[in-house]
Amino acid sequence: MQGVFFIAACASVLAVALICIFLFANGIPAMKEIGFVKFLSGEMWRPNNDIYGILPMIVGSIYVTAGAIIVGVPVGILTSVFMAMYCPKKIYRPLKGATELLAGIPSVVYGFFGLVVLVPWIRELGRALKAMGWVRSSGNGNSILTASLLLGMMILPTIIGVTESAIRSVPSSYYEGALALGATRERSIFRVIIPAAKSGVIAGIVLGIGRAIGETMAVIMVAGNQARMPAGLLKGVRTLTANIVIEMGYAAELHREALIATGVVLFVFILVINFCVALLNGRTNRE
Amino acid sequence: MRMKKFIAVLSMVSMFTIAATGCTGNASEDKSADATADTKAEQTEENVSSDWDSSNDITIVSREDGSGTRGAFIELFGIEEKNGDEKIDMTTQEAQITNSTSVMMTTVAGDEYAIGYISLGSLDDSVKALKIDGAKATAENVKSGDYKVSRPFNIATKEEMDNEAAQDFVNFIMSEEGQKVIEDNHYIAVDDVKPFEGTNPSGKVVVGGSSSISPVMEKLIEAYKAINPKVEIELQATDSTTGMTSTIDGSYDIGMASRELKDTELSEGLKATVIATDGIAVIVNKNSTVDELSSEQIKSIYTGEALAWDEVIE
Repeated sequence: MQGVFFIAACASVLAVALICIFLFANGIPAMKEIGFVKFLSGEMWRPNNDIYGILPMIVGSIYVTAGAIIVGVPVGILTSVFMAMYCPKKIYRPLKGATELLAGIPSVVYGFFGLVVLVPWIRELGRALKAMGWVRSSGNGNSILTASLLLGMMILPTIIGVTESAIRSVPSSYYEGALALGATRERSIFRVIIPAAKSGVIAGIVLGIGRAIGETMAVIMVAGNQARMPAGLLKGVRTLTANIVIEMGYAAELHREALIATGVVLFVFILVINFCVALLNGRTNRE
Repeated sequence: MRMKKFIAVLSMVSMFTIAATGCTGNASEDKSADATADTKAEQTEENVSSDWDSSNDITIVSREDGSGTRGAFIELFGIEEKNGDEKIDMTTQEAQITNSTSVMMTTVAGDEYAIGYISLGSLDDSVKALKIDGAKATAENVKSGDYKVSRPFNIATKEEMDNEAAQDFVNFIMSEEGQKVIEDNHYIAVDDVKPFEGTNPSGKVVVGGSSSISPVMEKLIEAYKAINPKVEIELQATDSTTGMTSTIDGSYDIGMASRELKDTELSEGLKATVIATDGIAVIVNKNSTVDELSSEQIKSIYTGEALAWDEVIE
């Protein structure tokens, strides 16, 4: 019987190993042919002329993810504090249900919501700002800002779920002790509870980053997907994932391999993020 | 307990729905992509048209690199520049890129200052097709040559194909009956075809490739089955490149490509046949006052020379 469990456990390791082999075997030769430095730091993406530089997409992915973190993390952490510390029982169930539902909505539905609701809002905002003379170009609603807002919404359930359970796992004696020493509720939460739940909160944020950087469908529909260096909050941007999905359908030969190489870069990003989590966890455990 | 939770979730769902309807309601007031916007636009057409301000920036929407539609579009409008042997795609980098016709149409339908292009067969009432150099975008005008923006639909088979049923189906597509189906679906048929003489084989055929060709291929399969029900035909809508590679490795009997075949694909033993021609419609928002553009004007929009509408039209 033990053998069956072992085989089941091997399946995921095998899957990761196969993905690694496939990605690197297909991507590395293409990177070599294009030139590592040229591929990673080139600002021009013109597959029809065999010019493959993915710096705009790398920067684009980082900008959009950073935007999602700026939008999602404060809201997520405050929500989980409310749910763990303040929430009356009556509101708790629907609130929990709503956040769980938010996690279950398919990303293409988020994308469509973004396309028909967020994009026109941002477009109007852009035109209003242009009319006031605050920005030079209004953009058309498909922008870094739109993608960040949408992704910020999408990473909420991840952040809320992990952070809430981290806050709940802090012994209540900490909170009571802080109150007994005369601290207000807010002060106890932000100075005692959250620092004590730090590793869980950070894990939540990093998982959120992972989701944001890997999100594809929703981003494609609202980001504009221009393959050039990001030019402003109201201007479009193309992420690494979008680059792969958009062009895979028609790509052939070196173009196709360059897209797989883009996947390698994305994979390395995720590896680095996971490594960071492991490092952070290791440190907090030792403390 | 469980009932309570169920009710809670249910009420949240209904709250979301109400919230969402609220949002679309607002959006349609902003003349956004919404079914209600259409009727509204009709009622207030005159007012809206006068609202259309040509000093606004043009929202340029384009397809992705390598797309058959984009390839044909840039070639026909001279957006592609030749530099020695190399062809350079001069489409402005500010153009928004999408890889699907439906997103293209939603974007153009929702943004009053947008311009884009789609296959003539996919055109519907949510957007307005422009006249190019005075010619309306219709199948008749493509055929007569007045409307110049078009591209071929290809099917590819292996040169030494031994599937009799597949050969019979290809013969059907290239016959009078098959071409009539193509014409009925607003694509442009191939000239000089003979009536169909089937050999009535039986067997299984797998057809796959470009999703632009799939809708019309589906109709062709239906029509063929009415004549010869003994053949089982399976249709897989993927994309042009998958269609070609799968035909080379034998998993498809017939591949579909909405672009010209690459030399590498032809050297692998594929034979291409043009089964139809598809027009490309240049589309703008229904509220736009622009009805007609010249090729030169479209070129200046797509190369990024003209940023606002008033730089293009008087």
